[in-house]
Amino acid sequence: MTYTEHPRPVHDETLQLRVLPPPPAEADPGFSFVEQPLPGWTLPPVAEMGWAADTGRRRRMVGRVLLAVILLVQAALSLRLANSAFEDEALYVYAGHVEIGHLFYGAPDYGGFDSYFSGAPVLYPVLAAAVDSVLGLAGVRALSLLFMLTATACLYGLTRRLFNERAGLCAGALFAVSMPTLFLGHFATYDALAVCLLALTAWLLVVVAPRHWLLAVPVGLVAALAVAVKYASALFLPTLVLLFVLAAYRHHHVRRSLLRGALFSVATIGALLGGLAASGYLTAIQSTTTARAHGDTPAWQILQDTTRWAGLLIAVALVGTVTYARTARLSEIPGWRRAVPGRRWRTCLGVLLTGTALLAPAYQIHLQTETSLQKHIGFGLFFAAPMAGVGITRLMGAHFKFPQWAIAIGVVALTLGLSQSAAYFGSWPDTRYLIPQLSYTVRPGQHWLGDPKEGPVYYLSRERRSSYQDWTSFFFIDYKAPDGRHLSGVPGYRAAVRAGYFDGVVLNYSGGLPAAQEAVRQEMRTSGRYRLTSSLPYRTSTGGGHFEIWVRQSAGRS
Amino acid sequence: MKATALARTLAALLTGILCLAGCVSSGPAPIGAGGNGAQPAATGPGGASYVPAQPYDVTPLLHPKAKYFGATFDGVPKDLSPVARYASQVGRTPTMLEYYLGWGDELQTDQTEAVWENGQLPYIAWEPHKATLAQIADGSQDAYIVSTARTLRALNVPVAMSLAHEMNGAWYPWGTKGATAAQFVKAWRHVHDVFQDEGVSTVIWVWSPNIINPVPQVALKPYYPGDGYVDWIGVVGYYARTGAQDFQTLFGPTFRQIRTFTQRPFLLAETGAQPNPRKSAQITELLKTVATRSDVVGFIWFDLNKETDWRVDSSPETLAAFRTAARNHRYDLDFAALK
Repeated sequence: MTYTEHPRPVHDETLQLRVLPPPPAEADPGFSFVEQPLPGWTLPPVAEMGWAADTGRRRRMVGRVLLAVILLVQAALSLRLANSAFEDEALYVYAGHVEIGHLFYGAPDYGGFDSYFSGAPVLYPVLAAAVDSVLGLAGVRALSLLFMLTATACLYGLTRRLFNERAGLCAGALFAVSMPTLFLGHFATYDALAVCLLALTAWLLVVVAPRHWLLAVPVGLVAALAVAVKYASALFLPTLVLLFVLAAYRHHHVRRSLLRGALFSVATIGALLGGLAASGYLTAIQSTTTARAHGDTPAWQILQDTTRWAGLLIAVALVGTVTYARTARLSEIPGWRRAVPGRRWRTCLGVLLTGTALLAPAYQIHLQTETSLQKHIGFGLFFAAPMAGVGITRLMGAHFKFPQWAIAIGVVALTLGLSQSAAYFGSWPDTRYLIPQLSYTVRPGQHWLGDPKEGPVYYLSRERRSSYQDWTSFFFIDYKAPDGRHLSGVPGYRAAVRAGYFDGVVLNYSGGLPAAQEAVRQEMRTSGRYRLTSSLPYRTSTGGGHFEIWVRQSAGRS
Repeated sequence: MKATALARTLAALLTGILCLAGCVSSGPAPIGAGGNGAQPAATGPGGASYVPAQPYDVTPLLHPKAKYFGATFDGVPKDLSPVARYASQVGRTPTMLEYYLGWGDELQTDQTEAVWENGQLPYIAWEPHKATLAQIADGSQDAYIVSTARTLRALNVPVAMSLAHEMNGAWYPWGTKGATAAQFVKAWRHVHDVFQDEGVSTVIWVWSPNIINPVPQVALKPYYPGDGYVDWIGVVGYYARTGAQDFQTLFGPTFRQIRTFTQRPFLLAETGAQPNPRKSAQITELLKTVATRSDVVGFIWFDLNKETDWRVDSSPETLAAFRTAARNHRYDLDFAALK
C-alpha cells in the first residue's frame, strides 16, 4: 500500500476526475487479503522507525508485560484447583522422603521405588520431598506451578525467535489456559518438571542454533535430565533434534545443521547411557514406559479424549501450519528479517511441531491405555502451541483486522481449560475427612490394608502415625499363612482377613468394588472379625461414593 | 475450482468441529474451582444437601462400661414429654428410647434427631408389616431401604436398629408362620448390606429374638445372620403373672442357647412386669443383674399400659423399688464422654 508518487495539492485533485491505476500486486503481503485503497485516498510514505523489524526495547517490554499477564492468569487458574493429594503425588513425595533418608542418613532403601517408577526416584521425588518437609504439599504443588510457568515463558521465547512476539503471546496464552497446563501446574508429580525441562531444551536449542556448535552439548545434558526425570520424555527427543536442525539451517548450511543435530543427539544419548549404566533403572524403564502393559481402551476413546482436551489447539495449529506454508511473512512489517525462510523449511517446521502433539496419543493408542493421557497430551501441546500462535495471528490478519477470531478462540480455550482442569482435578476423592478419621483410629505399628494406600501413608507418616511398611495395598500381597504357605492375590487377602492380620482396612466404595476389595469386604462381613466404624461419603466430578474404615474387633466381644 | 471450494468447505468444517470438540458433554463435569469434585458431600432426602461431617463413630457405644437405661412409651418419638415424666418418676433420665417404624413409613429425621438431642440413643424397631421377608430379600423393596439408609446417613446420629423382632415367635406376620429362618437371614443381610453400600456406619444392628421359653421348639441359630451383621443380641422377655419369675429362669435358657453360636453382648430389648406381688422384687433383681453382668449392655423398660399395665408405676411399691434400683451408678452413661 505504499506508492512512489507524492500527493499533489488537494485543491488540484478536487477539480479533476481521477482514475487511479490498480495497485500493483504485492509478492508476499504476509496476510491473506489486500486492502483496496479507496479512491481519493493515498497514504504518505511511512516512517522507517514505526516499522522497525528489529525488536526494539519498547517492543520487548510490551511483549514481556503481556507475557507476565498471561503467566498471572495461568497461576491464578492453576491455584484455584483444590483437592487432597492424588495417590501418585502422595507416593512420589513419600518416596522422596525415603530416598533422602537413604541417600543422606543411611536409612534402608525399602519400597523398591526404582523398580516401578516411571522416572528416576532420586531426582524429582527427592526435590519434592525436600520442599514438602518445609512447605508441605502446597509447596510441592507451587513448585509444579513454577515449572509450568517456566514452560510457558520458554514457549514465548521459542515462538518469538521462530516467528515473532505476537505469535509468541498467542501461543503462550493458548498453552497457559489449556487443561493439561492448568492441571499439571497444581499437580505434584514429575510431569511438570519434565515439561519444564523439555521446554527449556527447546528454547535453548533455538537460542544456540546460530551460535557456536559446542553449545549443543550442554543443551543435550538438559534434554537428558528431562528424560531422567520422566522416562516418557524420550518420546520428544526426535522432535527436539529436528527442531534444532531446522533452527540451525536458517543460519548455516545443511551439513553444519545436521552436524549440530548429531552432536546434540550424541550428547543427550551419551548422558542417558551413562546415567543408565550408573543407576540400573532399565527394568523400571521397560515396565513403565517402553514395554508398559497393554490395556484395552479402544482407540476411538483415546482419540475422542485427545480431541476434547487438545482439539482446539491442534486445529488452530493446523490452520497455522497451512497458512504458514503458503505465506512466509508474519507481520505487516515490510522487509521483515531480510531472508524469508523457504516454503520447504516452513512446511517442515509446521508439520514437525503440529505432528508432535499427536505423538503421545498415538503411542497410547498403540498401548491401548488411557493412563495419564491428560498429562501426556500437555507435552505435545507445548510443541504444537507455536504453530497455534501463528494460526491465531494469521486469522486475526494484519493490523488486527479480524480480532474476533482471537477473541472467539480465546474464549473457547479459556472455558474448556477452566472446566476440564476443574473436572480432572476433582476426579479423585478428597481425603480431607478420611485422614483425620484415620489419624484418630490408626496407631503406630498397626498393619493396615488400604485402597487408597498412598494418601494415608503420606499424610499419616507426617504425623508419625504410620509408615509405608505398615500398609498393604490391594495391588499385591504375599501373606504367610499359619501353616507356612505363601498366599497372594484374592486368596492371600481372604486368608489375612480371616486370620485378623490387619488391624484395619480402608475401602473406597463407588457404586461397586474391584474383585479383591469385594472379596475382602465379604470376608469381613461373614467372619465378623471386623466392624465398619466409619463411612465417609464424598463426591467427585465423575460421581460419588464413600470411604469405609473397618477395624478389627477383639475376638468375640465388640 | 469446484473441487477446491468443496475441499475448503470440508477443511473449514473439520477445523470447526475440532475446535469445538471440547464442548462435548463428558458427564457431570463441574465448571468452577474444583466444582463439587473436591468436596466430600452427600445429599439428604429430597435432594437437600447437608454440610458433610465426620460420621458419628458408634464403636464406643457398642460396649460401654456403663449400662444403657432404656425405656419406651406410648406416643414417642412424636411426643417426648413421657420421657421427662418418667425421668422425674424414677429419678434417672433414660439413655435409650425405643420406638417402632412400620415398613414403608418414612423415617422422621426431626423426631430421631430430637430423641438424640434429648439424651437418648434412638432404638428403632423396624417392623415389616407391609412386605414379606422374602420380598425384602429379593431386592424388590430396595427403593425404600435405600431411602431410609440415605436419611440415616444424612442424619448422622447413632441409631440402634432391629429388623423383624421376635422372629422366632408365631405372633407377628414375619414370625415362624409367615417366613422361614433362611428368608429372615437373607432379608437381614440384604438390608444390612444395602445400608453399608449407601455409606451408613452409624447403625448399631440389634438382632432381637423373643426368649425361647414360650417357643422352645424354635432353634435360634438358623435365624442368626452372623457376627459380621449383628452388634447386639436384643432379647425380648417379660415377667408375666405365670411362668418364669426371676431373671435366671426368664432369660437364662435363651442366653445359654445364644452363647453356643455368638459372643455378642446382650441387650434386654423389651422387658417389663405384669402387676403381681413379686413385681418389686423382680425390678430390683433385673436392674441389679443388668448392672453387674458384663455381657449385658442395658435394658429397655416397656412402660406402657398395653394388654396389661407393664409400667413402673403400676403401684407405689414398684415405683419405689425401681427408683431405688435406678440409683445404681452403673447406669451413669454419658454420651459426651464416650465420643
